[in-house]
This record gives sequence, structure tokens and C-alpha cells, in this order.
Amino acid sequence: MTILEVQSLKKIYTTRFGGNQVQALSQVSFSVEQGEYVAIMGESGSGKTTLLNILAALDKPTGGQVLLDGKPLSAINEKELAAFRRKNLGFVFQEFNLLDTFSVRDNILLPLVLGNTSVTEMEKRLAPVAEQLGIASHLDKYPYEISGGQKQRTAVARAIITEPRLILADEPTGALDSKSTDDLLQVFQQIYSMGQTILMVTHSTKAASHANRVLFIKDGEVFHQIYRGGCNNEQMYQKIANTLTILATGGDHR
Amino acid sequence: MRHGFYLKMSLTNLRKNARLYLPQMFTGAGLTAVFYILLTLAMDERLKNVRGGSYLPTIMPMGTFVVAILSVILIFYTNSFLMKQRKREFGFYNVLGLEKRHVGRILFWESTLSTLASVISGLLLGVLLYKLCALLICRILQVDSVLGFYHVSATSIVPSALFFILVYLAAFLFNRIQITRLNPLELLQSTHTGEKEPRIKWLLLIIGVLSLGAGYYLAVTTDNPLNALNLFFFAALLVILGTYCLFVTGSIALLKFLKGRKSFYYHPRHMISVSGLMYRMKQNAMGLASISILAAMVLVMVSTTASMYTGVKDTLIRKYPHDFYVSASYDTESEQNREIPFEDLREIIYQAARQNHLEIADDCQVTYFACAFNKKQENEFSTNHSENITQIVQCFFVTANEYERLTGTAVSLEKDQLAICSSATKSDIFAVGDTLTMAGKTFSCAQELTSFPVNMSAYSLVNCYGIVVSDEDVFNEIFDFQEKAYKDAASHVNKQLVFDFADEKAVEKSYDNFTDAMYEGIRDYVDSQPESTGGYGTVVDSLWDTMEYLYGMYGTLLFLGILLSLVFLFATALIIYYKQISEGYEDGERFQIMQKVGMSSDEIRGTIRSQILMVFFLPLMVAAMHMAFAFPMLTKLLRVLFQSDEQLFLLCTVASLGVFAMIYVAIYGMTARVYYRIVK
Repeated sequence: MTILEVQSLKKIYTTRFGGNQVQALSQVSFSVEQGEYVAIMGESGSGKTTLLNILAALDKPTGGQVLLDGKPLSAINEKELAAFRRKNLGFVFQEFNLLDTFSVRDNILLPLVLGNTSVTEMEKRLAPVAEQLGIASHLDKYPYEISGGQKQRTAVARAIITEPRLILADEPTGALDSKSTDDLLQVFQQIYSMGQTILMVTHSTKAASHANRVLFIKDGEVFHQIYRGGCNNEQMYQKIANTLTILATGGDHR
Repeated sequence: MRHGFYLKMSLTNLRKNARLYLPQMFTGAGLTAVFYILLTLAMDERLKNVRGGSYLPTIMPMGTFVVAILSVILIFYTNSFLMKQRKREFGFYNVLGLEKRHVGRILFWESTLSTLASVISGLLLGVLLYKLCALLICRILQVDSVLGFYHVSATSIVPSALFFILVYLAAFLFNRIQITRLNPLELLQSTHTGEKEPRIKWLLLIIGVLSLGAGYYLAVTTDNPLNALNLFFFAALLVILGTYCLFVTGSIALLKFLKGRKSFYYHPRHMISVSGLMYRMKQNAMGLASISILAAMVLVMVSTTASMYTGVKDTLIRKYPHDFYVSASYDTESEQNREIPFEDLREIIYQAARQNHLEIADDCQVTYFACAFNKKQENEFSTNHSENITQIVQCFFVTANEYERLTGTAVSLEKDQLAICSSATKSDIFAVGDTLTMAGKTFSCAQELTSFPVNMSAYSLVNCYGIVVSDEDVFNEIFDFQEKAYKDAASHVNKQLVFDFADEKAVEKSYDNFTDAMYEGIRDYVDSQPESTGGYGTVVDSLWDTMEYLYGMYGTLLFLGILLSLVFLFATALIIYYKQISEGYEDGERFQIMQKVGMSSDEIRGTIRSQILMVFFLPLMVAAMHMAFAFPMLTKLLRVLFQSDEQLFLLCTVASLGVFAMIYVAIYGMTARVYYRIVK
């Protein structure tokens, strides 16, 4: 079943007085199936972040549309948008984006609180998530008291506690050391294996090698995609690296 | 590099940072203007010589002093704020290759330009507003305006300009030193380190609760005006201490309590407000407490001076049934029984009045005596020595005949009956039927009087009773009794001449000349008497002298009160404005995260609003609460100062609170808009 369908997405940024136009996305189309783990790779300026913002309904496309569960995002009005985002999407960011005034527990619970969930229900959901991510003993600490890896796991917990249809991860390993990166990718692997759909935007070949499909974006278009097939992570890594080399040397493969 | 470069650069900087610099310059200008105005008022010869104007040179310098202190505090406060916001920028310059002395030069030009702008515009403003203030003063003192043109006083311009330039120079030097110490790397990296959740300081909390409670308790329970005078500052100190302690730790205790209640805390708006406020309180508790106290001070200052000022006339009419009292007595015991030539004195006074075209409508001679008793029980006046000033009462005795002659109202009394006029508070009033034991006898109160022909104003600190006795015998009996008991300190029978003027307008015009002529006449007369009949002293007590004194003093205080309140208000506004800005930058990041996590912009706006409202109106509410508790004590205090109209004081308090709240709300509106713009 298709969860996310992106149809010929186009985004043009115009400077305030309409002078210069910059095309961030020219023609992006792809779809994500239920339970898939997709990585999107591309260089800086290739339009990754723009794509993610549009998928998150934080930005509006100039042309084309995004369907979530067959429903176009553009059909949701401004007022319901926040609630929609809260219910259907979970976010993991490079910079963690934890609130420094909240404890780990409150950071995780924030989306549920915003959705007016009852206290008992929140506690029922929190316990297994915290356990799974190995932060159960840190719940009462504050973000500045824990390590980067723990912060990112807190952010993941915040993303999955609402049981969203889709998790959007923006360079989730970008601010982590290699040990924490391994841990986090392990966590992603784990929630993926439990049936969670994940869409991850990344620079890191290693991070992408955990996905079961990798899309490459160049100059605002989907340039290429590779499937895991039967490969293990190392083979997948090699495949991605090869593709990146071709991309970098200017191959015109389509 | 040429100097032109630095000048240009600092001009650009000032323009770019207008949001930060403009309020500081406005404040500087406003303070300079007020400083100049107060200084000029203190030195203006023309104002000094109007009726009641003699208080300006003594009271205005105090105001100038307060403004000077406030200016130093505010200028340094805004300066440190500006530096904190701009350090990163200066760090950048450093990294980009400007040496520190170059940055210093830019800073120098910025300071010079902003100082000149604020001092010059402040002085201009001061000169423009001076006439308005002088007119206001004349209006308050109820004299015709004596100023016909704009008055520019070089003797106050120079010190005003000098003072503010010095303060700004000190601030600049302070900044310059900071630049030298600046480490650009540190600044550029300025990482966002999290802060610990504040802890509840239980000891402070207990101290705060106790001292606030004690302060309030004193304010509410103090009954006697004299005690109120003694205890007011103590109570105020307790309340100030309590306010600081409770803001610092009580607020956090409350928030922690709220956080502990999960069903309350885990609600979208509550959760964000509570944890946001917790941190905001940690940083701002002192500032908010200061604002509350400043606001309470403003309210006390304005409401008391306003009610004293507006109540002058009523008070005087109550205290002075007649316009003018002349009493005369011999100093020594042996001369006691000599007659004072009241007829001659009366003639001198009439003559002085005629010379100055004043008509005396009525006069009479009063015979009374006044003495103090110890009211240790409800119904007993004794002559025992009392350590407790609150038990002392002052009594004025006249006979029924005298009372009828003076007031035209007959009082018929038995030997053991009295008619009593009480100036005391309600609980101490003698009503019909009450008994009073005095001089070994027990009397009953047969009539309650609302006015008394003898002037009791000099004794307003203690409770006063005007007592009418049935006849000469009882009068003498009580007199002898106190004479025996008090011995050397006993009172004499007092004889007084009482006058009423016919035309108030005429009095206002020629009163001063009249008194001069009168004093001269009496002096010449006494000097011309032979040794054997002279040697007595005369005392003049007049409604008009007291009125001039009260209007002069209260009017000047009222003016100063209003002006200083305005200054305090704008100081408050400035502090709040800068707080909003610095918090706006921090909160902006936070709300961005919340938006990403799934909060709608409506929800965010609602949260922001409730958070600002809390922080903003908490001080106002606290100030109003302080004022409410201070009210009973202040009414007692005002009684000491001749003002006993509680209703009027209530009106003044409510009015000043209303005006204050309105200005406060306006400030809120303005700063909130800036905050929203930043957060967005």
C-alpha cells in the first residue's frame, strides 16, 4: 500500500520583489510504500531540505502535489495543518530540536500533550518507547545533562510516540559521533523492523546504507534510485558509494 | 583608515540597531529634561517668591537627587543590555581584521553621537516643558502665573549637561574595557548551554512569607496614628523584603507545585507556560520584584500627596472654626494673675486690618484650658505618668456659658454631665450615655458635639477631646486637680482672641501686609508698656498661615510626586521593553521547535500571550495588593498630617491606581508588539 506519493513536485523561490528566481525542485516524483525505509541523498543545494519541508507541510510547492494516504496535503486547511502534522508525521532533526526548558520526559510527551491525550494514556505509551530507546533512566534529566546520542534518541522517541504514519528524518546523524551514529541507525533499523515507515534525508553513505531504497537527487530532480535487493549493509554501502562516484564525475545516467 | 570611516560606520550601526538604541536615547533625553526642569524649579527666583513657593528650593533638590540616582542606574542598565546584544557583532569585527582599538573607535563615535543626541534633545525638551511645569506649579499653588516667556536657565543647563555627559562617559569607559577583554572566539561560538531547573530555596521562602505576613499584619492592625508613623517604614521594609523573597523563590515553588500536578501540567498551554515561566522567573524575579515595589511606591506617593493636597481646605475648615487666633500669656507663675490688656490688643489688630483694607466680621474672646491625660481605660482619664504615647489624650475645657457665648448654641448640663467633641477614631469616641471618670469624679456624656470653638489643630497627633462642663465650679475643680497633679508642668487657663474675616478674596490679597502691620503694632505696644504690666508673650495661629504652609508644601510634594511617578513609570517601561526584546530572541527559537513538533501558530500565539500577560501583570497585581494592605496604615499616617478624610484618600488611591494601570497597559501594548515581531 502506498503511503506517500509525490507527483512532479516543483518549487521556485522568488526574491521579495520578484527579481531573481531560483528553482529548488524542478520535477520530483516518487512514492513510498507502507513499511518502507527510504533514504534520499544529494549534495548541498540539491533541494533535499526543500523537499522535506514540503513533505512536512511546512512549505508549499509551486507545482505538483503530495499525497499522504491518497489525500493531497494541499487539501488540508491551515487550521488543521498543525494537528495533521502532529498525528501523521514524526520528525527527527539534525540539531535534535529539544526544548531546553523541558525534561527528557516532557520533550517526549510534548506532541501527545499538544494532542490533549490523557495522562494515563501518555504514561502507558511512554514506558515501552523509553525502554526501547534506552533512555528510561534519563527521563527526569534535562537535555543539557545528556549526551548527543541520548538527545537524538529522545528526539526519536518524541517522533514515534504518536505512532505516526511516516517518520521524516533530516540528517539525523549529522551532529553525532560515529559510535552514536551506529547506535541511532540501530534504533532506526529496529523501529523499521516493527513496521514503521521511515523517510530519511542524508549526506551520509553509512546512514543511507541501512535503508532498503535510496533515492538520489541532483539539481532538483530524482536522478537515480537503487534498491537493496538481497544485499547486506556492506554491499549496499558499496552500491551507494559507486553511484555517488558516478554522480560526482558527472555521469548522465537516467 | 580615515576617521570618516569610523564615523560612517557608527552612524550605520546606530541606524541598524535603532530598536535597541532609540529607547535608550529617549530615556536619556527624558531623564535629562526632568533633571533640568527640577533643577531650574529649585533655582527660579520668580517662583520662589510666590505664595507657597518657598518650598521649591528645599523640595526640588531632593527630587533632582532621586532622578540623578535613577539616571545612573538606568543608563548603566540599558548600556549593559546593549553591550550584551552587540558583543557578537564586535567579535565579528575583530575576526574580520579590525583591531580592538578600531572597534573602540567605532564605539567611541557611537557613544558620542548617541550621547549628544540624547543630551541636546533632552535639554531642548526640558526648556520647552519647563514653562508647562512652571504653569502647573502655579496652578497647584493656586497663584497667578508669574512667567510670561520661555525661560532658559544657563545655571541649570550646564550642570544638567555635564552630569549626563559624565554618566555616559563612565558607561563608555566601562564598555571600552569590556572590548579590551573581549575574546572573539568565545563570542562567536557562544553555544547555547542549557540551564538547570531552579531549586526552591525553602529558607528564603519562609523568610519571605513571614516578612510579608508581618508587614501586612502591621499595616492592617496598627490603630494609632503615632504608631503608624513609627512603624510604617519598618512595615514597608518587611514588605519589600517579602516581595523579593517571594518573587525569587515563591514563584518557583508555586510553579513546581503546578508542575507536580500532572492533570494540570500536561495540558498544551499549561505545560509550555509553566516550564517557560520557571526559567523566566529565575532570570527575572529580581527585576519583577523591583517593578512591583517601584509601582507600589509610585502609588503611595501619588495617592497620599494627591489626597493631602485636595484635602487641605476641608481639613483646615475642620481644624480652624475661625480665621485667626491670638493668645497671650505670662511666662512665670508670679505674673499669673495679672490681666492681659486684651482690649488694647484687639484695637491694634483692628487698626492693622483697617490699614490694609481688611474687614473683620466678628471677634470674641475665649477662655479655656487644655491639658493632657492618661486614658488608660476606656472611661477613665488619669494624671498618672504614661510611657505609652498611644494612651495620651489632649482635652480642652470650656464652661457651658462660654460655649453658648462663642457658638450661639446653648448646652444645658447638670453638674455631673459633659458635652464632648471627639477628634478621635471611632473606637475612642464618647457617645451620649458613656461615662467618664476624671479628677476623682464620674461624669456622663450628655451630648455629642460636632465642632468645638477652640482650635485643637496643634495636637492632631494624639486623640483630642473638646469638653464642655456645666459651670465655673466644675471648670475650676478640674483645673485645680491637674495643677496639683502636674505641678510645674501644669497648664494655665488660656485666653484667646478669635477673629473672622469678612471677605476671603481680600484676605488672599493683603494678608501678608496685614500680619506684618499687626506684629509691628503688637511689638510697639508691648514695648511701650511699663515693666509692671508688660512681659507677656503673644502667639498667633491663623488659618491663612497654615493654609499657605500646607498648600506650599503639599502642592510642591504633589508636583514632585507626579513627575517622579512619570519617571518611575517610564523606567519600568524601559526595563520591560528590554526584557521583552532579549526574551523574544530566545523564545523565537523555542517556538520554532514547537511549530515543527506540531503546534499551530494560533496555539503558539495564545501561549505567548498568556505568558507575557503573566509576567507583565504580576507586578501590577502585586503592587495593587501592597497598596490595598497599606491603605489602613496610610489613612492613619495621613491623620498625623492633618488629613483625615478617608473617602477622599480612597478616591485618590483608586484614581491613581486606575491611571497607573492604564499607562501600564499602554506600555504593554507597545512592547508586546515588538516582542511578537521578534518571535515571528
